[in-house]
Amino acid sequence: MALLLSVLEQGFIYAMLALGIYITYKILDFPDLTVDSSFPLGAAVSVVMIKAGINPYITLPAAFIAGGISGLVTGIIHVKFKVRDLLSGIIVMTMLYSINLHITGGQANVPIFSDDTIFTLSPIKNIAGDYNTVIVIFLIALICKIAMDLYLKTKSGYLLRAVGNNETVVTALAKDKGTVKIIGLVIANALVALAGCVMCQQQRFFDISMGTGTMVIGLASVIIGINVFGKLSFLKATTAVIIGSVIYKACVAIAISMGMQAMDMKLVTGALFLIILIVSSFKKGGAGND
Amino acid sequence: MKKFISLMAVACLTMGMFTGCGSTDSNETDTTQSSQVSEDMVTVGIAQFAPHGSLDNCVEGFKLGMAEAGFVEGENVTYDLQNAQADMANTNQIAQSMVAANVDLLCGVATPMAQACYNAANGKIPVIYTAVTDPVAAELANEDGTSVGNVTGTSDKLAIDAQLDMIRKFLPEAKTIGILYTTSEANSVSAIEEYKALAPNYGFEIVESGISQSSDIPIAATDLAGKVDCISNLTDNTVVSALATVLDAANKAGIPVFGSEIEQVKNGCVATEGLDYIALGKQTGEMAARVLKGENAQDIPFETITEYSLYINSAALENLGLSCPEDLKATATEAAEAE
Repeated sequence: MALLLSVLEQGFIYAMLALGIYITYKILDFPDLTVDSSFPLGAAVSVVMIKAGINPYITLPAAFIAGGISGLVTGIIHVKFKVRDLLSGIIVMTMLYSINLHITGGQANVPIFSDDTIFTLSPIKNIAGDYNTVIVIFLIALICKIAMDLYLKTKSGYLLRAVGNNETVVTALAKDKGTVKIIGLVIANALVALAGCVMCQQQRFFDISMGTGTMVIGLASVIIGINVFGKLSFLKATTAVIIGSVIYKACVAIAISMGMQAMDMKLVTGALFLIILIVSSFKKGGAGND
Repeated sequence: MKKFISLMAVACLTMGMFTGCGSTDSNETDTTQSSQVSEDMVTVGIAQFAPHGSLDNCVEGFKLGMAEAGFVEGENVTYDLQNAQADMANTNQIAQSMVAANVDLLCGVATPMAQACYNAANGKIPVIYTAVTDPVAAELANEDGTSVGNVTGTSDKLAIDAQLDMIRKFLPEAKTIGILYTTSEANSVSAIEEYKALAPNYGFEIVESGISQSSDIPIAATDLAGKVDCISNLTDNTVVSALATVLDAANKAGIPVFGSEIEQVKNGCVATEGLDYIALGKQTGEMAARVLKGENAQDIPFETITEYSLYINSAALENLGLSCPEDLKATATEAAEAE
């Protein structure tokens, strides 16, 4: 039971991140590496605010905005300065590493064991008991999902989807496709930083290296979600992504609890990833579509 | 056919989930059964942050210390050893899965793992940590050394005073000590601060060079070696992993590199007044045994290593035209000959 709770906690936290990566990777077709640093950015902003005695709930919008700014920078570098998509993400990711360290005052590891977090101050703490953490995380993830569903139905959201599918449509509508891309990157990185914010409060410490591999986890979640559950017409893509994230974390938990050699973990993760990609490309009618 | 494949994929994943749940259930029954058979069998989860010589030694020492205190692997204790491969996402999940498996005691090796274990255990399971340089900064201990909760352990704080004293004896003329460290390693950052504070007492000036990843080391080490009279290592994981590169740069510049623990001296550093991680692990294992025998982890203050010893590498010294000072010879041990 405790293991299931842990899987759900981790899964829902990374679901917010996966929603962000869903926008860049799946909708915009933009391999955004900024996320490896915007995830710890959200965490860095949060721990510093918590250490300063600010209400932990304020860290949620603060991390969201900080992440949005990092996405904005990536977007501007790519759209305005015509730097290739992968490169602009790498540049911002690299620079953010230093900025994250500056935010925490040079500390690579900031514990918040003795401070209040969104979980210790949760209004349902006494009723929910052991389920408090998972419920709080689930609610935040759910709000992100609903907000994103609503946004994708607006005119701006429609344009966002159009840029990924067919850029000429956007140009034909007399809209600037660059601006739409930037908006997508802002929302994506804002969500990723929000995940970082929740993550550091759940684990009760920030570590500069917590962003390593974020992109891979997010991508795996999106691909599992979309390719396995995306075909089910009653599920929205956003829901599929959230389920994908939980499944990814479940796979990791299973690997750990079955006593898999730790050194094989990455190999297994990669193999799982590959199987799903191959299976999904068969579904599309031929490999090499992606 | 396509539908069949996708159905298979879904089926595999779903089955994976069920088997996963199933195996956890059977694990739980196993433990209840075995605890009925033998009351004394305890399970200890050892969560290691990264694959790394020093940390491996910690784990080895931990088991030795436990065995000496009466907890012998396979007889009355089983170990669940997991390594997060330096991946923070795994760190959390390993700690949580060990708590879910209801181990009797958690051993967290290195700072992020110790923090993750303490958080996951949430006071319900005692956590013993090791290789945490600054438990106070990591919020695992209070300023006065007492524990913050159901957690205690050992610190691998460097004997910086002793190290500086030793360097002064080896190099009476030296003025500057270069230190290479990774900006993302909390332990290194706090060690640098202490080096800077203590160096003037021995007439040294510290020249630091911060790197962000392993690939920065060749340039940073060459640059640093050209500027200083000697290099002293921290227990910085990234730098220690690339020790050969650092030694190479130092040798080209003709300056010695002092290590921070015996492994580094074996691998070519000239000397260290330092840590023996096996001994540190042993000390940790003894603490864990006390907790398993009924003591409350909260009542045991964290410990630093009680004995430092001088290890030298004569071959490396000779290469640089140096020798071990007479007054240190009596206490020095040749690293290669140490157990």
